[in-house]
Amino acid sequence: MANSSDKQNRLQRLWTWFWSPAAVLSVGFTLIAGFLAGILFWGGFHWSLEMTNTEEFCVSCHTMETNLGEYRETVHYNNHSGVRAICSDCHVPKEWQHKVQAKIVAVKDVYHEAIGSISTPEKYEERRLKMAAAVWKKMKASDSRECRNCHEFEYMDFTIQERRAAAEHQRAIDTGMTCIDCHQGIAHSLPTGYQEEYQKISEALGVPKLGEEMTFSEAKSDEIRTYLDQ
Amino acid sequence: MLQILGMIGANMLSLPGILGLAFGMMTRKWGFAALGGALIGLLEALLFAKFDFSQIDAIEMVISILIGIIACLVGCAIRRKGVLI
Ligand code: HEC
Ligand code: HEC
Ligand code: HEC
Ligand code: HEC
Repeated sequence: MANSSDKQNRLQRLWTWFWSPAAVLSVGFTLIAGFLAGILFWGGFHWSLEMTNTEEFCVSCHTMETNLGEYRETVHYNNHSGVRAICSDCHVPKEWQHKVQAKIVAVKDVYHEAIGSISTPEKYEERRLKMAAAVWKKMKASDSRECRNCHEFEYMDFTIQERRAAAEHQRAIDTGMTCIDCHQGIAHSLPTGYQEEYQKISEALGVPKLGEEMTFSEAKSDEIRTYLDQ
Repeated sequence: MLQILGMIGANMLSLPGILGLAFGMMTRKWGFAALGGALIGLLEALLFAKFDFSQIDAIEMVISILIGIIACLVGCAIRRKGVLI
């Protein structure tokens, strides 16, 4: 008992000391010291957050290895231009606030790792459709924001794309579709029944802001058509 | 649920939380601090929707305004406690 009240006293004194005016430090010293501490803290925080964006980190949970293996067979791992998209490029937003949110939500991954929700290949495949659906929902809601960090309809030269690709992309612009609407399974194997599941998500979420998107893209496609007519 | 927690964390570590705290530390008036916090939260929501009102997500806006207000009030408390004038 005596010990704990002693501790309380010390805490109280620390509290009073913390809030008492600093007689020996100049304002300048306190400000500069606080500024430096701020930089160090923020830099360290940011650095550790970046560390959780590496492939090594994601795969440090062996449950993520299935996806790693599949992704290694795709263009986003090896391609003629030598630009690679890693896990976090597609799964973690770049914008600060979205990124912090994604990192906090990922706490559930740790939870499911601990209770072993996908610890065996059988459990994994059973849960795959559910997990894929979670990713699709996110991408559909954000208009495939992560894909568009690297790809953008506006940067595509439809004249050198395969004819089918160009035609489909024109249709996508006209109708306000987003990348994931057509490019599911771009990095991993698709579970059976994915089309039905995607259809459901599509109907539940709809095409975001179709009305506005249409006018915007109609203007765009007119522009492209006049360009092509020339 | 986790989504909401994520939003709260993200707001605390970005504009509403940090600018809010800084703004709160500039005033001793609780009411003024709360008003500033609400404005900062609103600004954040607007900024994120790229100034397109139809794009604002209601829950996101409520959370950013709430966090803005709380951060400003905490800042105000720090000012009252830590500054003699
Ligand atoms: C702690 C171990 C662990 C780490 C580290 C980890 N994951 Fe996971 N991940 C899991 C588990 C377990 C699940 C299954 C969770 C569920 O079913 O909801 C999962 C699910 C997912 C999903 C499914 C969609 C979703 O949101 O539920 C994606 C995508 C994913 N992880 C990507 C990543 C990426 C990218 C990284 C690296 C930044 C990563 N994971 C790091 C364990 C981990
Ligand atoms: C880090 C940047 C980056 C991100 C993020 C990214 N990609 Fe890619 N993508 C590339 C590169 C690089 C190539 C290969 C270009 C080449 O052929 O050299 C590519 C190729 C492709 C191809 C062509 C496939 C083929 O068989 O030729 C498609 C389709 C594609 N990406 C869709 C997507 C989708 C959908 C997303 C979002 C889930 C996405 N990309 C995210 C960089 C990225
Ligand atoms: C309406 C469906 C549809 C939508 C929406 C769509 N694509 Fe495609 N895309 C296709 C088809 C079909 C192909 C050609 C077949 C293939 O390569 O898989 C293609 C091909 C591509 C290619 C390879 C082009 C080439 O010539 O090598 C890339 C890269 C690509 N898409 C990226 C994207 C991105 C990024 C988005 C979102 C901004 C997107 N696509 C949206 C249907 C679509
Ligand atoms: C080119 C973008 C891209 C890259 C790179 C990528 N993913 Fe994915 N990932 C997706 C998409 C899109 C889905 C949604 C399901 C689908 O369409 O296949 C997905 C789904 C998942 C899922 C849910 C289960 C499933 O198979 O559908 C997990 C887990 C996952 N990714 C982990 C990873 C890990 C770990 C890495 C890095 C080794 C990685 N992803 C790299 C685009 C990507």
